[in-house]
Amino acid sequence: MEKYWNEEIETMSREDMKKLQDERLAAQVKHVYENVKYYRDLMDEKGVKPEDVKSTDDLYKLPFLSKADLREAYPYGLLAKPLSDCVRIQSTSGTTGKRVVAFYTQNDIDIWEECCARAIVAAGGTNEDVCQVCYGYGLFTGGPGLNGGSHKVGCLTLPMSSGNTERQITFMRDLGSTILCCTPSYAAYIGETLHDMGYTTDDIKLKAGIFGAEPWTEEMRRSIEKSLGIKAYDIYGLTETSGPGVSFECSEQTGMHINEDNFIPEIIDPETGEVLPEGEVGELVFTSITKEAFPLLRYRTRDLCVLSRKKCSCGRTLIKMSKPMGRSDDMLIIRGVNVFPSQIETVLIEQGYSPNYLIEVDRVNNTDTLDISVEMNPEQFSDKMKDMQEQEKSLALAIKTMLGINPKVHLVSPKSIVRSEGKAVRVIDRRKLHD
Amino acid sequence: MSNAKQISVFVDNKPNQLTGIMALLKKSGVNIRALSLADTTDFGILRMVVNDTDKAAEALKNASYAVTVTEIIAITIPDAPGQLSRVLDILGADSVNLEYLYAFTGASDKSVSFVIRVDDNASASEALTKGGIIQLTEQDIAEM
Repeated sequence: MEKYWNEEIETMSREDMKKLQDERLAAQVKHVYENVKYYRDLMDEKGVKPEDVKSTDDLYKLPFLSKADLREAYPYGLLAKPLSDCVRIQSTSGTTGKRVVAFYTQNDIDIWEECCARAIVAAGGTNEDVCQVCYGYGLFTGGPGLNGGSHKVGCLTLPMSSGNTERQITFMRDLGSTILCCTPSYAAYIGETLHDMGYTTDDIKLKAGIFGAEPWTEEMRRSIEKSLGIKAYDIYGLTETSGPGVSFECSEQTGMHINEDNFIPEIIDPETGEVLPEGEVGELVFTSITKEAFPLLRYRTRDLCVLSRKKCSCGRTLIKMSKPMGRSDDMLIIRGVNVFPSQIETVLIEQGYSPNYLIEVDRVNNTDTLDISVEMNPEQFSDKMKDMQEQEKSLALAIKTMLGINPKVHLVSPKSIVRSEGKAVRVIDRRKLHD
Repeated sequence: MSNAKQISVFVDNKPNQLTGIMALLKKSGVNIRALSLADTTDFGILRMVVNDTDKAAEALKNASYAVTVTEIIAITIPDAPGQLSRVLDILGADSVNLEYLYAFTGASDKSVSFVIRVDDNASASEALTKGGIIQLTEQDIAEM
């Protein structure tokens, strides 16, 4: 039997949901126009007044916000409430430049935590569960978000944060954790460490994992599910809209239900900004319709995905988004070809290699170079040089077949590529240094 | 007769890689009898015959090295001109495909030893025996 945290919302009819969104959107646009000068200027520039947006059908009239706007408006330029009404700040990792800070009222926190609670319940969580949260705690939204959701559900919450993997496993065993929340790369590492410590899935009680904050593939899902003996659920979110819980996976594991009562999704053509019909791949755009302190309208996520209203076997009527197929800012253009690290990861796992790899892109004599360091598979190690060179060649060929360009594959020792306890660093693009 | 064993280790093409392996073997009290290093621009394959293969393999595997143990043929021949040529003639006459070989210390001052890696140990071994070449067992090497 499928369980819901908020059955009324999660199984609401499309008509009722649209009505709710229309009301909330109109009120939100008014709130933003009155309180956020930065966005008011953008609307005025486009000649849009709050009264022009009466329903979700009018969404297209509103200007977009991008990460560049958030940086421009840093730190208070998009704040819509007095600071005295705000209770929390969270921030992005700032890996691509200046940090983005987001503000929350208590109501914003409550809604965010409810979104995470829906995700935990969709993964089978109840107040009988022990939920081990090893997302980072602090400015990063992962830890605080799932921690709050876990409290709401009533799980016994283990606020481990990331790192100290052997201790994670000790707690997991001693306290019988049943749900694990962390990044997928850290989940894979925990699984690897568990087996290295001489344990098997019989030594732990985990049944489900809620993994997000970075892209991961279906192959990686299967490999984590096997190594930890669990069902692995995807969760999606971004600091700009709240944090994890914007969307979450259900038992069907075929995409993530968006919490549409709080976030209206759109898919646009990243080049033209034109809204695309359901089923087409494009950039995901979110409008926060309940956020009080930091309400972003038409925020461009840079994540490329597909939306679907196909009926879901879990009974939820919330629209589903596919796993992001890549980020427009993660996308590498190498010799004119679009390359997503996730494509390379897919090939590695298919060919029996570890999903720990490092992509290095550079430009030599005006030609882009693509070097991929891959941990060799100890099972396939041979004392014959030609066997090992054959492995490099056949992997390079499989990657070439996927990408359309020739990489240079370098086999390195098992476990020699640095493991990450947060977001994994998979790409080093040295071309930027020359520009 | 039992063939001798060789232990091979995958080595990254980075500074201090051999240092780490040697430190581990030192700690385990393993003595190396023969050694060769084959390399490409990316990585190397360190091949060794040691006095205690199981112990060396265990120590290296525990430290996450990629290790493989293979049977090889070890021979000892007089340290004189034309001796290796004689061995190769014997193998060649039997169409044995040679993967690689490397020399190591002899059983005496007047001899020299070789590790020979072939695809078909049994037929190579038979050909060498017929040709009068002395082969070393694992124990012979350990006791050298």
